[in-house]
Amino acid sequence: MVSTPAASTTWEDDADQRQAWRERLWLILGIIALALVPFVDSALGINRLGSWIPIFVFIILAMGLNIVVGYAGLLDLGYVAFFVIGAYSCAFLTSPSSVFVQNGWIPEFFQGFWPAMAVGWVLAAVFGVLIGAPTLRLRGDYLAIVTLGFGEIVPDFFINAAAITGGPNGIGQIARPPSIPLPGGNSINFSSGDLDNWYWLVVAVGVLSLFIINRVYKSRLGRAWQAVREDEVAASSMGVNLVRTKLWAFALGASFSGFAGSIYGGYITVVYPDQVQFSTSIIILAMVILGGLGNIYGVIIGGFLIQSFDRVLADELNAPLHWIGDRLNLDFLREHDLQSDRFLIFGLALVLMMVLRPGGLFPSRQRAAEMRPEDQDITVQEQQEMYDVRQDDEPSAGERA
Amino acid sequence: MDFNLDLFLQILIIGITYGAMIALIALGYTLVYGIVELINFAHGEVFMMGAFFTMQVVLWVGVTSESATVAVVGALALALLAAMAFSGGINYFIDRVAYRRLRNAPRLAPLIAAIGFSFILQNIAIYWRGSNPVTPEAVIPLEIRSLNILTAWFGLDTNLRVRLIDFLVVLVTIPILIGLSWFVYRTRTGAAMRATAQDREAAALMGIDVNRTIGTAFLIGGALAGAAGMIAVYYLNSARFQMGFQYGLFAFTAAVLGGIGNLSGAVLGGFLIGIIWAMSDGFIRQFIPEWGAQWTPTVIFGLLILVLVFRPSGLLGEQVPDRA
Amino acid sequence: MAQDRIGTLIAQLHRQNIDRREFAQRAGAIGLSATLIGQVLRAVPAAAQDATPEADGAMSIGNPDIEHITETELGMVKFISSWPLTGASEQLGGDMVASLQMALDDFGNAAGGFAIEYTAMDDGIAANNGSWDAAREAEIATSVVNDPDAMVYIATYNSGAAAVSIPILNQADPGPMAMISPANTYPGLTKDSPNNEEGEPDRYYPTGVRNYMRVVPADDLQGPAAAAWAVENAGLSSAYVLHDNQLYGRGVAVAFRDTFEDLGGAIAGFEAFDQNAPDYLALMTSIASSAPDVIYVGAITNLNPGKLLQDMRSVMPASEVTFIGPDGLINQAFIDGAGEAAQDAYVTFAGLPPNALQGAGAEWYARIRELLGHEPDAYAVYAYEAAVVAIQALDQVQDNDRVAILEAMFSTTNFAGLLGTWEFLETGDTSLTTVSLNQIQDGGIVFLEEIAAPPVA
Repeated sequence: MVSTPAASTTWEDDADQRQAWRERLWLILGIIALALVPFVDSALGINRLGSWIPIFVFIILAMGLNIVVGYAGLLDLGYVAFFVIGAYSCAFLTSPSSVFVQNGWIPEFFQGFWPAMAVGWVLAAVFGVLIGAPTLRLRGDYLAIVTLGFGEIVPDFFINAAAITGGPNGIGQIARPPSIPLPGGNSINFSSGDLDNWYWLVVAVGVLSLFIINRVYKSRLGRAWQAVREDEVAASSMGVNLVRTKLWAFALGASFSGFAGSIYGGYITVVYPDQVQFSTSIIILAMVILGGLGNIYGVIIGGFLIQSFDRVLADELNAPLHWIGDRLNLDFLREHDLQSDRFLIFGLALVLMMVLRPGGLFPSRQRAAEMRPEDQDITVQEQQEMYDVRQDDEPSAGERA
Repeated sequence: MDFNLDLFLQILIIGITYGAMIALIALGYTLVYGIVELINFAHGEVFMMGAFFTMQVVLWVGVTSESATVAVVGALALALLAAMAFSGGINYFIDRVAYRRLRNAPRLAPLIAAIGFSFILQNIAIYWRGSNPVTPEAVIPLEIRSLNILTAWFGLDTNLRVRLIDFLVVLVTIPILIGLSWFVYRTRTGAAMRATAQDREAAALMGIDVNRTIGTAFLIGGALAGAAGMIAVYYLNSARFQMGFQYGLFAFTAAVLGGIGNLSGAVLGGFLIGIIWAMSDGFIRQFIPEWGAQWTPTVIFGLLILVLVFRPSGLLGEQVPDRA
Repeated sequence: MAQDRIGTLIAQLHRQNIDRREFAQRAGAIGLSATLIGQVLRAVPAAAQDATPEADGAMSIGNPDIEHITETELGMVKFISSWPLTGASEQLGGDMVASLQMALDDFGNAAGGFAIEYTAMDDGIAANNGSWDAAREAEIATSVVNDPDAMVYIATYNSGAAAVSIPILNQADPGPMAMISPANTYPGLTKDSPNNEEGEPDRYYPTGVRNYMRVVPADDLQGPAAAAWAVENAGLSSAYVLHDNQLYGRGVAVAFRDTFEDLGGAIAGFEAFDQNAPDYLALMTSIASSAPDVIYVGAITNLNPGKLLQDMRSVMPASEVTFIGPDGLINQAFIDGAGEAAQDAYVTFAGLPPNALQGAGAEWYARIRELLGHEPDAYAVYAYEAAVVAIQALDQVQDNDRVAILEAMFSTTNFAGLLGTWEFLETGDTSLTTVSLNQIQDGGIVFLEEIAAPPVA
């Protein structure tokens, strides 16, 4: 892409600018809404502030996965592996039960929450590169399966290597963020009861992640991702370094997963290896797809919808469902527990999204064009006709293995 | 520790039986992949549905271990056909409602839809038979299931055991493999499938109904999974809603190991994975004291990664459309 | 419903509003959805079909000296439970909820002048295949703490989940809030134990006040009792120990292994099995080659031990190798899962098994069986008792004062429960130390004898 001189106001520039303003407006509205949540929550006595924290952690995960899948077009089915690595690195560094701390291998400085979080962030990125490097030349679905294998092996390792990881007992007593003293003798604490402070912390981290990801996406690297996603060969001949571009996507995507993992570890203060499974990776993927691959705001909304369904709505929707069942005198509705349908609902969401609205609820403008199936239920005749007019529309070289 | 030959052979026999079942599932994977280049992630769940439907059919027919042998054999044959039809139907249905619409979408779209279907089928299985492992109606008495044919039929004086059920698994698998090869290489539909695999548009120009051909591949792939499901129910004597996941991944690994899209490769890969699984569960601990069965998935997924990274075309070479 | 629809369709076909092809398609769709709905209906548990009327004998459970108050003029309080209710735990969790609800119904859903409102929360999430999620558990615990009407938290099923929520309830405002578990057996939650992690159990109680009780005995009882019985009574000298690689399964397995070795037995192997593996024949063949006398399996039912036992029996007949499992396996699902192979397997249980209960326990068993339509999970007993402990505390305090309720619960004594009469020790553990040895015979659980853990050296 060549930057246009600022003076020439073409129609496209105008549209871009309007788009940018609209984005900014939504962002400001969103932040205001988030800022109001704790007040509304306490004013109405909803008591659901605790639900927001894991929701935000998962939204950060979804934003990270969006880099890999949405921006760079690399399907990662083992994304939670990096989350586990982030959480465990935080545990290894800060917990008095960790063998590394007990052997005195960890300098005092790293036993705090903030340095450990930074280490978790970097370590996940390093693992992202380690996994990415040998596999990036694989074609799309093979890459997906390799990441799936990796996503199975990592939790298996943490549960089986009991001598280091405590096995199924997990590791407890992970450090929490230290109190921040305020002028006037008060301080901001992060113990389990200080949900308000935790809420602000995850919101801050979420907004920071959003900011970083947006900056990167609009940089040269972000444009390179799009180019690689659209057409590898063309991108390569335009001078994009394929390996470096993809590795950056993997590393950055993984780093946000590690980031989320260490915050989660600090919040819960215990990590257990059975807390993440293949289905966790799939749910994160579902969040990205539901919202709209490649559109970070869509992904945030998708993450919010799915997580709140899983953690809050499935509970809360039972009452109205039973009420309807009562009114209609249908035992099936009256006694049905929506929580037992969650797999079905996620599965349906994935399938329906792909079939009916492959770009997600809020498709990114480029990806919308790309994901739309062009012809449905074609007959032989139609297909032949189509072939006649589609000579120039052969599958692009980029899709060649 | 000394090399325990008896144990090694015994584990090898078990591994071959595991392998036969994996090969059956892997064939379905490879058949579909060879034609539409889609990792049908729901394949493991289609297999699981076959297993569940088998139990349902036997329940409907109402045979028990008391019934006459003819009735039992007849019921099992019926269950096999029913499971094949049921699983084939599910697979065809999935293709018809979802994958077909996504033929020209980017690769990730059908893969994601497939993952969605695997979740849906698992939930249906929970509605159906609950979440705990289910034991099928004991129509084959234990004495017959676990009859050692080496001593009983061949009169060998040996510690090795080949149970009748192991023998039956391999016995059912082989004709299915031969039948499938015959179908793909000797029939018109098979030729159409291979043509579609080579070049979908050229095949369409030659008058092949591409959608119908692909649908047939899904139908056959599903039927194979259904057969494997029926066999698995009576081999394992147990079924549960998650059974398709790990079997499916092992089978996919087998298909990739052998060279995806390659029928004989899938069979070879299946037997290799089965043997590796059995050895890791049962033999490696003879040499590595701390080794345990909990490392088996790690070994197999590690192998999958190594194969994909270093030899992505598998042992026997892949056979996929060249426009890939 | 489906028949009506099809009737309408036929009428439309006759009037030629729709063509045959469309008719076939629509009829098929209706048929399919009707089948699906039928299956769904079958899956909905039979629970709550008949609200059990207040049964007479039920009141004999609990401390007989505490008078039950059924008036509700003081208002409403909430009891909240939390354990997984979907995925692999659907039946088990459902049994516990049904049993807890039954206790509340028996006491008229009221105590100490308050109406009791009970909510069953699910700490599992779909992202985890329905099993418990730490953040979800933390969130439920926090919402319970922040709800001024919530008096007692009856949770959790998984000990790992309890490790997350105990500290949250411990730091409640104005003082620690009562948490009572019907199922946590990890010793480190309440007491010193050889396999404890650094700082257990004190790290769970940041305020220094104990607020957690369990009506179920901890793992350090069953494993050693089973080992002592195996070595001393049954004369078994070599054991192979398997576990499901979970907190509970590994915990009992370790306890069994250590005691077995202390008493002079030999451990031929100690390892985890893969819960997702479809088959264990190779594993069992290898174990058979080391010729153990007994195989101990520390696991819970939904992690596939039934299949493990089947494959064990196909290479090691019951006459040669004994199978012993902990109370995670004492349920119908395990027996069904193992089929014929379950015959002669031993399972221990902390207390008497549901069907061997006497008096009030026997009556409870008959009622819950009728309510559920299947054998209740063994932990359902404890869910009932936990609810009664909370109800009686409320009856004594007669005020919605959490701190006072906690104290009243902790000082529970002379509690005539379903499993015998017990009280809470100062750690919050039950004083019952009965361990029963049971055997599976002809698809049922048969109580054999009471066994005891050897005194700690």
